[in-house]
Formats: sequence, structure tokens, C-alpha cells
Amino acid sequence: MRVVIFTWEYPPRIIGKLAENVSTLATHLVKNSLETYVITYHDSMTGTAEEPNGARVVRVNNPVRTHISVLTWDLTLNEEVERAAANIYYQAAKRFILVDVHDWHFIPAAVTLKNALGVPFVYSVDSLEDHRSPGANLPFNMAIRGIEWLGFYEAKKVIAKSEWMHSEIIRIYKVPEEKITVVTPGTNSWVKKTLEIYRTAAGGADTQ
Amino acid sequence: MKRQLNVMMFSWEFPPRVIGGISPHVFFLSKNLAKNGVKVHVVTCDFPGAPEHETIDGVEVYRVDSYKNPSPDFATWVYLMNLNMQKEAAAIAAKLSDKIDVFHAHDWLVANAGIGLKHVFRKPLLVTMHSTEIGRRDGIHTTTEHMIHETEAWLTYEAWRVVCCSDYMVQHVKWAFGLPNDKLTMIPNGVNPQVYDGLEKQDLKAFRAKFAMPQEKIVLYVGRLVYEKGIHILINAIPKVVQKTDAKFVIVGSGYMQEQLNAIVKSMGLEHKVLFTGFEEEENLLKLQKIADVSVVPSLFEPFGIVALEAMAAKSPVVVSDTGGLSEIVDHDLTGVKVYPNNADSLAWGILKILTDGTYRNHLRENAYRKILEKYDWDKIAQQTRQMYEAILGEYSKSFWA
Repeated sequence: MRVVIFTWEYPPRIIGKLAENVSTLATHLVKNSLETYVITYHDSMTGTAEEPNGARVVRVNNPVRTHISVLTWDLTLNEEVERAAANIYYQAAKRFILVDVHDWHFIPAAVTLKNALGVPFVYSVDSLEDHRSPGANLPFNMAIRGIEWLGFYEAKKVIAKSEWMHSEIIRIYKVPEEKITVVTPGTNSWVKKTLEIYRTAAGGADTQ
Repeated sequence: MKRQLNVMMFSWEFPPRVIGGISPHVFFLSKNLAKNGVKVHVVTCDFPGAPEHETIDGVEVYRVDSYKNPSPDFATWVYLMNLNMQKEAAAIAAKLSDKIDVFHAHDWLVANAGIGLKHVFRKPLLVTMHSTEIGRRDGIHTTTEHMIHETEAWLTYEAWRVVCCSDYMVQHVKWAFGLPNDKLTMIPNGVNPQVYDGLEKQDLKAFRAKFAMPQEKIVLYVGRLVYEKGIHILINAIPKVVQKTDAKFVIVGSGYMQEQLNAIVKSMGLEHKVLFTGFEEEENLLKLQKIADVSVVPSLFEPFGIVALEAMAAKSPVVVSDTGGLSEIVDHDLTGVKVYPNNADSLAWGILKILTDGTYRNHLRENAYRKILEKYDWDKIAQQTRQMYEAILGEYSKSFWA
């Protein structure tokens, strides 16, 4: 099985806790014989590189350098994420791949790949716009919430980090309960549960 | 039999959604491509009352959710709209029994959708650059303008071939984005002279009486009332014209300069010689073009100049400023009159030259109409476009994507 993780932060680019979590997860996935790719953003460290932990990391940069907000920055960067993911898909001779998208940034790319190539995706929720910008209801926040909603709607499975996040996702986005699984990073069952969710999302498709 | 060529076209406007020149361009281009055996799937923004999917003369038109939540600003809306357009176009293309051979994007307004699907489906992307940010704004000044300019550069970089509608635009785009010569193709914009056929034998006297006295010659301007269109130059030329001959200036269109122009006309005491009609319905517009004694296009920046072509198709003599695409459309003294841009004296001279000489007027009308049929016929333009698609696919077939 091939998994492609989309994350906007990955070491050495560390913004919050997500970078370290994804990097640890990738290491464990490789140990469990999963062909693991990470597509992330970086301004200068671009190109494919085999990482020490065995996960293949592709770092894309933004084709448009000047931006008026993180929203426009994100939406042009998504096309490069799509390009990198499509390259993996075609190099693997169109064999099965699964996308695991962490947070809202690269949901647009995951959705296009799903609609165009039938690549399913799992949406791993680290945080939500409602909690990052409580009470903010500007068009900017609405757009990000719209992207999060799209992720929940189009994802095959949703991973929540805690019981609290699980209930928040249901409260805010009315996502059906059976679509969401709680998996807490760092716990004993972290990797085992993640692999189970990947297999369910893959729906028995090519598991080689 | 050879498999039919399948093209997916992206445009932010398509009739009945009409904002500028891209809408009629994509409408006539796609229809005439269909006539020439190309299957075109147009993906465009939705419009109240227009169906989500319809087939118009063999063209499949899909109208997608154009993002109707409030947006922080126009540019952000464009990228959000592209998210939806790309998502829906991906699903449409995946479901088609025939694979799309070429993606064709019109302007930066659909850049993300075109670029994304190019990579996801691994098919060539072609772009028509109708205008540029650096041309529209006469330079790049703000962060938003920078972002749009870079998006245009990115789009032309990702494109297999870049099409412009005039030699002027080819040079301009080459300069603006540093493109190599062999990436650029000139295919003119077209005009549809048949829309005026029905008016040929119609009695338009009563219609004309609504705009001008019988002895007044009609000078027609059609366009937005904005700086780049040079409408203020025409207003300044009015006293110089009415000194010599009896004429009525009919100004069709709206824009931010409206009040300023009203004030100038009033201060000159010429309100009885100028009629601002505002926006006019298509039907009235065609009639006005038909009855105009001269049509004026005084633009300061003009990538193509479709309004001059329309006037020529309506057999109205034209005066244009010698700039941009207008310079190529009109041959001076043969198919129209060219005047110095940004020069009211020169413009008045050109208008008077036509209004005071009936023989000259007819000579221009006939030559202009002939040129329209020869060079700006949509059927021929569609054939050129089809040949370009085939050339691109020939090159593509040798690439590792094929």
C-alpha cells in the first residue's frame, strides 16, 4: 500500500506540533512496510529526497511569490501539491494510492485528486478554524471553514486527535459519527489504529 | 475514422453571463470549433436562471458553483472560484467516455483550474491571454497587482502554447513574461457579421429619431466610460466637430468617469449634442451600430479592439486611435481612419473627414466589410485553432506524458 501524506509543516519547517507528529508517524508507517510519501511546503529545499527515516519527502514551493493573504498563498500552492501527487500516481503506474491530508491547507488538492483520479483520502484533523479564530466571522474565516467542510464531506474517513475534537467536529460540521475515529498521537495504539483506518479507507483496494 | 478531438475550455464568463470580451469570444469560438468537428466542453461560472448543463450547437456547457459566499476581495474570490471550478471540472472530465485531449484556459481568472488539471490528467494546457494586469494598470503598483501579474506569468509558463489575438498582444505578452517566440501564436479575435443581416432591410428611421434629429449625423461610442478607453478624448473633440458640421454624439456604456464627463459636457454648453444612454440591450446596440454615420474607438490601451470590428461588420465607418490591436485592424484610408492616440484635434479631424465626405464614407464601409469576411471570420479562426490543437497534440505524442 502506498500512502501520500499532505502536510504544510514538516521538519525542518516547524510551525507547531504537527511537523513532529507527522514525521514520527511517517517513520512508523515505513517500519510497517508502507510505501510512505510526504508532500510538504518549503521555499528552498525542493525536489524529491529519500529521508533517513525511509519516507520519501517531496517539498514544493509556491509558484506565485507575492500574496495578499494566507488564503491566496494556500490556493496557488495547492496546484504544486497536486502536481507532486500526480507525479507519484503516474510513476507508480497508476497503482493504488491513498492520501492522508493533515489540516485544511491541502484539502483542495486532495479533493481534485479524488474527483479526477479516484484517489481516496483521509482527513486528519489537528485543529479547526473555529478554535483558531474563535468568533471571527469574516469572509476570510468563512472561506477556510468552507474548505474544512469540503474536507469532511469528501473524505472517506476522518481522524480526530481527541474525544473532545471528535465531539467538536460533530457539533460544528454535523459529520456522521461513524466517519470519525479518535486516534491520539504518541499513544500505543497510534500506528495500529492509523493503519486500520487507511485499510478501511482503501476499501480492500490493492494492498500490496 | 479518426477519434474526435476533445477540448475542455475554462472561462469565467459565458453567455448569459457577460462581463467583458471573453464571454462572446468563447461562445463563438466553441460553436465554430463544434462546426469544425471538435468536441468542446466549456466549464464556466453559474448564472441565475441558466442551466447547470446544456448543449448549445454541439458545445457542452457546464456552469459550476462560482463561490457565492462573501469574499475578502475580487482576487481572493477568483482563487476560491477556481477551487470549485477545478473540483467540478475534474469530476466532469473523469466521467466522460472520451478522454479530454487538450485543456484551454482563458486569462488568469481560470489559471489554477487549468494548471491543476493539466498535471492531474497529464494533458497539454493551452492559454489565450486576452489582456494583462501590467497593461490594464499601466504598470504593477500594489501587492494584489503583483500577485495577479505573477499568476499570469505562472500560467504562461505552464502553458504548452500561448495564444494572443493581435500581433501587438504577442509582443506585449512576450515582453511582460519573458516568453520565447516559439511559444506564442497569433490567432485573431472574430466577429459575427450575420447578426446585422436582419437589419439590412429594416426601416430604422423611427429608431433613429429617438437618438438624433434627422439632419444630425450620428457619432457613436460603445465602451466602458473608463480612462484606458479614452472617452475623455472624444468628449474634448466634440466642440471641434460641431463647429464644422451638425452631429449628435451617442455614448453607450457606463463607468466611473460618467459624472466627470457629464460635467465637462455641461461646462461646454453642449448637452443638446451629447446623449449618454448608459448600458443598452443587445438589440438596440446592433441597430445603433447600423445607423451610426461614424463609430469612434479612441482607446489609450487596447489589446484587441473588438468594438471596431463590430462596427465594421455593421458597415459603419470607423475612426480609431493608432494603438495596440486597433493599429492592426484598421488600414488608414482603406478600411477606416487612424488618428493619434490621446489627441483630441487629431480625433476631431478623423471624425470630420468621414462625416463631410459621403463617397469616402462608402469606400471605407465596403473595404472594411470585405476585410471582416476575409480575416475575422469565426469559421476560419476555428479552423486555425483546430490546426493549433492538432500541432500541439503532435508534439505531445512525442513527450513522456503521452
